[in-house]
Amino acid sequence: MDLFLRGSPLVAVATILATRSWVTHVFLGLVVLALTVPLGRVFCGWVCPLGSTLDVVHKISLRKRKELKKPSPTRWRWVKFAILVGILVGAALGTQMLWPFDPIVILTRTADVALYPLFTIAVSSLLAVMVRVPFLEGAAYRAYSFLHAAWFPLQQPSFRLVELFFVLFVVILALEKASSRFWCRNLCPLGALLGFFSQFRLLHRQVDESCTACGLCRARCRMNAVEDDYVTTSAVECIACGECVSVCAPRATHYAFRKPARSGTVDLDRRRFMGATVASLATVGLLGIGFADRGRRGSVIRPPGALPEADFLDRCVRCQECVKVCSSTGGCLQPSLWESGLIGLWTPVAKPREGYCEYNCNLCGQVCPTGAIQRLPLEVKQRTKMGLAFFDKSRCIPWYRGEDCLVCEEHCPVPDKAIRFDQRMVRRPDGSEGLVKLPYVVEELCIGCGICATKCPVVGQGGIFLTNANEQRWIDSQFSSQ
Amino acid sequence: MNRREFLVKSAACLAAGACAGPWARLASLAKAQPAVDLAVVQGPSPRANVRKAISLLGGISAFVRRGDVVVVKPNMAWDRLPEHAANTDPEVVAEIVRLCLEAGARKVKVFDRTCNEARRCYLRSGIQKAAEKEGAEVPFVLEQRFVKMSIPEGEELKSWLFYRDAVEADVLINVPVLKSHSVSGLTIGLKNLMGILGGDRGQLHHRFDKKIVDINTVVRPQLTLLDATRVLLRNGPQGGNLRDVQQMDTVVAGVDRVAVDAYGAVLFGRDPAQLGFLVEAQRRGLGVLDVKRLRVEKVSLAA
Repeated sequence: MDLFLRGSPLVAVATILATRSWVTHVFLGLVVLALTVPLGRVFCGWVCPLGSTLDVVHKISLRKRKELKKPSPTRWRWVKFAILVGILVGAALGTQMLWPFDPIVILTRTADVALYPLFTIAVSSLLAVMVRVPFLEGAAYRAYSFLHAAWFPLQQPSFRLVELFFVLFVVILALEKASSRFWCRNLCPLGALLGFFSQFRLLHRQVDESCTACGLCRARCRMNAVEDDYVTTSAVECIACGECVSVCAPRATHYAFRKPARSGTVDLDRRRFMGATVASLATVGLLGIGFADRGRRGSVIRPPGALPEADFLDRCVRCQECVKVCSSTGGCLQPSLWESGLIGLWTPVAKPREGYCEYNCNLCGQVCPTGAIQRLPLEVKQRTKMGLAFFDKSRCIPWYRGEDCLVCEEHCPVPDKAIRFDQRMVRRPDGSEGLVKLPYVVEELCIGCGICATKCPVVGQGGIFLTNANEQRWIDSQFSSQ
Repeated sequence: MNRREFLVKSAACLAAGACAGPWARLASLAKAQPAVDLAVVQGPSPRANVRKAISLLGGISAFVRRGDVVVVKPNMAWDRLPEHAANTDPEVVAEIVRLCLEAGARKVKVFDRTCNEARRCYLRSGIQKAAEKEGAEVPFVLEQRFVKMSIPEGEELKSWLFYRDAVEADVLINVPVLKSHSVSGLTIGLKNLMGILGGDRGQLHHRFDKKIVDINTVVRPQLTLLDATRVLLRNGPQGGNLRDVQQMDTVVAGVDRVAVDAYGAVLFGRDPAQLGFLVEAQRRGLGVLDVKRLRVEKVSLAA
């Protein structure tokens, strides 16, 4: 998944454009883009995992239909170009908007926070049933040990927005019912980008005289790239999947580096181009003036090593790789809702009451495909402040009830303890008096990892909470480009 | 027959009945009665210290019989290295595993419900590798395997979730590490058993002294072996500073877990009578707190 993300040309182009800087992480994406010029959209036909998924879905759902069908309309093809124009205009203005649309990101996101947990929960539930059956019990526990050793999260992770991600994904799959590769033909901005460069391709579909005009190639073409004469092929839309070659009974079709009869238009007229541009400008403007109040902004706690907010938003493609990897350790990261406005939707935020940043872990920076989270060495990460903890004295057990607790202090991973306590005589609500250890935060030492808030035993809202006060966000050339 | 006679006679009958059944077990226990209450061994090799301490208590066969399932419960709650002294020394755990298997144990399990992510704790404590090398199973704790048990003698807690493997084991050997702790003062053996508890353990931290003793009325380890190879003097229970760690190269072993903890407190330089949970444990009859009343055998092993 990671390799695909790094190889997505759209991620590469949009990230470089939005950040106006060279981003080493996405180099592979540019290589793929460069290959498109000679070869055409082979990425779409042979590499794209979402495309392959759609092909499989198509095969399964429409297995029975073998007869020739009328090719579906081509009138929606322009939409993908409009989306691409919108993304690129936005990126040129410094606002990265590819994250809802990039196919690799969509697939990664869905797989990470919805499909993978669905899979693990299915397996775990099966094992839980096996455990109840006497003669299967031993096998079940051996399976648990095996899976836990490397594969599975020890705690079943749960994420916000999984339902939404899953539904959006299912919608894309369901569009296969309308036509094969509906997403790739009409909506995919990555396909549009590759299609644009694909105009200049050198590898073309060739049809020789033995063609019997049976029409099978036109009917079976996933992308509806073959035209009525069965010879002319759209250089923009053809993904070189080779279906036409394999169905051609007289073997009249093949691919070669030779100029053939072709059409090479990008289906976007000037009016629609302008429309997309204006829509993009409006979106960028609206995102820019989108309002997030101070309370919500203060709760946006970013993973350690996250770039300064503006750069972070430009780079983060919302793939949820960090969110997933975090769930296997401390489990603090979640896709954001409205904390940082619509512009920050689905970006990773730490939710310290739900999980904490593991002191000896820097995995989020390691998996980030665009460097939105820098790859910090462990020693650097351990002193990078994500936020600051505050006691809520009306909810903290020693403060409001006059009884010792100190679970927060016990778990504080800072070697010199960022949570300490004063032992004082206090009068309890019942009138009795006693010595109580009253905790406080040492602001200079607190790194905002949030384990105190996670482990606080108070029911509901905890006796200690975090804001992003004191957060350290900086670009260090040493860590931002690996 | 008057009421008093009736009570005396029925009590005698009950006692006779109770003795008759598990007579063999009692006999073997009587035979295993160690000559000393506490074995304190100091020396450069943690493994040699463990062997000596257990032999002073009558040898491992006094505790583990052929075919037993043994649970060895170390402290491996934290994602820290052995030298940080937040977890039990891996060599100490490994040696106990070896002795148990030598004594014919069918299976030795080593586990802990950790505070940091379990895989990190198991790996970085060094215990997983060391114990597995000696033939132990070192499984991760599964939430589904906690069972709710009532605590008949509980004063604060009437029931809690306990780990099935620990409760069902034939022999439970508690292997705590000696270190500082802000709530209890020290964390030693009685507190180490929190690692077999499920649920939200943070709830145990207020009125801790009573609650930890409640827990210990249900789970009774047959042997407690305190690891004081390295002792975390400050910033416990997880530390992180090497300057907070003192090398003591000592293990303390005993059947009386209160006594082991009390001796640990003395080693640490604390007065056991000032530690609330130990005072509470003695009051409830779990063991002896006054180290002077015990037969302590101290041995120093040369390098």
